[in-house]
Amino acid sequence: MLKKMLIVLVLVSALFGEEYQEDSGYNLGEGAQIGTLPIYIGGYFSVDYKYKDSKSRYRIDDLAFLAYGNYNKLSYMAEFEFKELYTFSEETSGFATKQDTSLHVERLYADYNFNENYMLRGGKYNSQVGFWNLLPINVLRDTTSNPISTYIIFPKFTTGLYASYTSYSEGDLKIDIMLQHNNDIDPSYNNYIIDEYYALGITYSKDAFEVKLNLGMFDNYMQNNTTQNLYYILASMKYEIEKLQVMSEVGTQSATDGFTTEYAGYLQAVYHLSEKHAAILRLESYDDKFNDTQDDIAIFGYTYRPLYPVALKAEYQFHSISLQNQFLFSFSVLF
Amino acid sequence: MKRLALYILLELFTSQLYATEYAVVINKNIESLHLGQIKAFFLKKTSYLGNEPIVPINLSSRNLIRISFEKKVLHMSFTRLKSYWTKQHYLGHRPPISMKSQASVKAFIENVDGAIGYMELKKVDGDLKIVYKWSD
Repeated sequence: MLKKMLIVLVLVSALFGEEYQEDSGYNLGEGAQIGTLPIYIGGYFSVDYKYKDSKSRYRIDDLAFLAYGNYNKLSYMAEFEFKELYTFSEETSGFATKQDTSLHVERLYADYNFNENYMLRGGKYNSQVGFWNLLPINVLRDTTSNPISTYIIFPKFTTGLYASYTSYSEGDLKIDIMLQHNNDIDPSYNNYIIDEYYALGITYSKDAFEVKLNLGMFDNYMQNNTTQNLYYILASMKYEIEKLQVMSEVGTQSATDGFTTEYAGYLQAVYHLSEKHAAILRLESYDDKFNDTQDDIAIFGYTYRPLYPVALKAEYQFHSISLQNQFLFSFSVLF
Repeated sequence: MKRLALYILLELFTSQLYATEYAVVINKNIESLHLGQIKAFFLKKTSYLGNEPIVPINLSSRNLIRISFEKKVLHMSFTRLKSYWTKQHYLGHRPPISMKSQASVKAFIENVDGAIGYMELKKVDGDLKIVYKWSD
């Protein structure tokens, strides 16, 4: 399996090398237009490897296709994805394989831009919470893994309405409102099964700084067919200059009878050693009352991007629960 | 000491004298813009001014005026902009269209309502409106 992955890696790297880009006029990572129609297509994929507790896992994690475009004040986005398409797990007692060929609806929405300040969206979209969840795909994030706080505090996707107000001045101010009062377009592709979700976000950015505050409430369908109202608050900050990016998100989640996640957050620094190489340090901590788990994590990562839309990433995670220590490697491409 | 002071003053004076000046220019039908709006249009954070569509025009990617514009006005390097536009592709946004020469940019802005571009200050005439100036 590892050999096959390496062959794929070499072939794709050769195909998408810089010479190919310049000869064809196609820019990798920027998609392609269908003739002169307002339709741009693209996609991304990722393969990864995990070694944890003497077990290895090889996986074709994502294979996704995008289509988007705009016509006057209307624009649209459609994204369909195969998730965990093929998994090969190996441990001392033997090996196992798993295939999932279901095609999921990751995003499907239309936007209407009223003017420079107001926008309205309808459909399924990435919940506009924090910074990480806005660009959650492997190739665009800095590490193979996602911080725990980005998938235990709020629903990653919303199916409903989204309205935003933005003011462009010396500093930009943005207000987001998200509303869901219906089923998810694809409930199997979300971290919570929800049919009600109301949320508010306020973002302010000036020069290299950006700060954000999100508040929300949603219904969570439990395994015993009951629902639970959950409330969250998440504060985020980002500081970005040429060589350095520092990002942090800290949040809490509660039900009517107390905390379900007392706290969960991370602080991450990405230092660009050169145009193609970056070193990453991320510190995470969380106390998940619902699953009765508390952990502190230190992650050391290294990313090599021969071209920006192609990423080779390695990381090692040290957990306070030492059985969770793990090594991760991934190869991902946006095309 | 006097000589050194004189030399420094002379250097400062000549560097100002020979610094190339550039301007962000718009079609005459557009009202004035501030820097935050200029950045928002060229980064495609918005494509409207009020209800009017805005069309930002870049010079080609290795053009020295564009490099200066990106550094001094957008405050972003070529590498950072590459990563920015890759992320925007995932979000469904395209970079501004590019033109090879200042003459093409000028002609486009003169003829298209809502067009915005940049060029050397000395190339600007009464058919365009200057909304921002910078120098190297």
